[in-house]
Amino acid sequence: MLKSTIELARYGIPWLGPAMAFLGGLALLAEGKGQWPAIAVIFGSVLSAGGIYSLLRSLRKGEKERALLDVRMLQSHKLASLGELTAGIAHEINNPLAIIGREAEWLEHLLSTMPPAEGVPRKELLESVREVGVQVNRCREITQNLLSFARKMEPIFQKVDVNRLVEDMVKLVETETQGKGIEIVRDYQQPMEPIMTDPPGLRQVMLNLLNNARQAIEGRGQITIRTRALEDGRVQIAVEDTGCGIPREHLPRIFDPFFTTKAHGKGTGLGLSICHGIVDRLGGRIWVRSEPGLGSTFVVELPATPKRAS
Amino acid sequence: MDLVRILVVDDEEDFLETLVNRLNRRGMSAQGALSGREALKMMEEKEFDVVVLDVRMPGMDGLEVLREVKNRWPFVEVILLTGHGSVESGIEGMRLGAFDYVMKPADLEVLIEKIQQARERKILRES
Amino acid sequence: MEGEMPKVLLVDDEERFRVTTARLLGVRGFQVGTAGSGVEALEELERNPYDVVVLDVKMPGVSGIEALAEIKRRQPQVEVLILTGHASVDAAVEIMRLGGCEYLLKPCSMDELVEKIERALERKAMKEGSEEKP
Repeated sequence: MLKSTIELARYGIPWLGPAMAFLGGLALLAEGKGQWPAIAVIFGSVLSAGGIYSLLRSLRKGEKERALLDVRMLQSHKLASLGELTAGIAHEINNPLAIIGREAEWLEHLLSTMPPAEGVPRKELLESVREVGVQVNRCREITQNLLSFARKMEPIFQKVDVNRLVEDMVKLVETETQGKGIEIVRDYQQPMEPIMTDPPGLRQVMLNLLNNARQAIEGRGQITIRTRALEDGRVQIAVEDTGCGIPREHLPRIFDPFFTTKAHGKGTGLGLSICHGIVDRLGGRIWVRSEPGLGSTFVVELPATPKRAS
Repeated sequence: MDLVRILVVDDEEDFLETLVNRLNRRGMSAQGALSGREALKMMEEKEFDVVVLDVRMPGMDGLEVLREVKNRWPFVEVILLTGHGSVESGIEGMRLGAFDYVMKPADLEVLIEKIQQARERKILRES
Repeated sequence: MEGEMPKVLLVDDEERFRVTTARLLGVRGFQVGTAGSGVEALEELERNPYDVVVLDVKMPGVSGIEALAEIKRRQPQVEVLILTGHASVDAAVEIMRLGGCEYLLKPCSMDELVEKIERALERKAMKEGSEEKP
């Protein structure tokens, strides 16, 4: 989803500038006089859009290069700053976008109230200026998607029956694995004391891990979900698949944002980094064991009660 | 404790009516909306604690409504209901801030429990 | 009261956005004043009466939110509509705490903006109606 959003942004934003310059020319034509402020606005929009676009690009490129030197401990900082950066970008785009949209509406108003004039193709001008509005809306959807990705979810700790929560998500994934040769094995420790954690956060982690397990299996295979309570009250949830496994050289980068080995357009490269961020905020840990060709096991370990809350 | 104020949003009129009635009989204050737009209009006029939202609706779909609700009323908790479980839309829904993603037909007891947990979350967040 | 144009104060630090939005609001039958900052807005509110304030709140920054708190304190009868490019939960939460204003995300169309302003006017009229009763 996010990747497609970024793709959209990559293709969407560069042409927005030229389109606006073109329409700016139309505006001058319509008003019948040269207006430096209008030109300034248009150039301003073009430049800011261009700048933001290149920022987005360098962000992606930089992420890839830095990932080679990645250190596990940096992970959560990196995720936090990525979130902030994304929100910052989206916010910066929203303001010029608001101006572009407003100018287009003003142009539309001017065009529709001016008397018909010889040689002015009013209908086409109107159509064209309305299209700007449509495309502004499209950009708005993109930035709102980015903002909702970046939105930090403060965890709210509630009493959670881990087995039940896990089973809810397993059932959901099972509707898509049924009849496809993928067997789901449940190995839940019963009974298990409830823990204090953030239910929607944990649901999101489980869905992502289960979905990855499902996608790692080509043809027939097995997904095993295990829950265990440790002696000190900590809880471990393991999702094990018999899929393709993760090559050794990919393991250090597996929780990096935008790192994906899935086919283009299939994965966002954000699922695991989102999981990592959530588990972090819940006061837990997430790690992976993998054997290429044999499968992978992701383990989430959560405290019985978060450290901060007493 | 005040009654839980629930807004159920579903385009299937029979399902909506039945669920709203059952929730009301169980001591909750439930109302129904047949579309996302209607739901947003109702939310502008009245405060709700929990929104139970069908994912698949004609017009504005559930995820769009969810996004709008979370943008405008970040305290309100949303439980997504889905006819056939789709993992992708589940992931998307949870990412957009839903409290839970529940497959239809949901057992009433289970749903009520989830509603109560969602409401508890809203109270915890507001305090 | 009828026939009188509703008065809207538009507060935004982006000059071009302010000017064009004000023009378009004028076309839609509002009497519009503008201010480029929270401080300017407070000064303008001292000078002239307004029905609705449309206020841009920057990033979870303090200035916009502080202005909002100050407007609510000095002129509780004025309806405030928040317009922002930043969908931050923290900011939204803070805004709700300060008096349940409506919240609109930038960019928004004039139709959306006008609809919100009209609803704010209705709310104001309702409040005044109920206060006038003994």
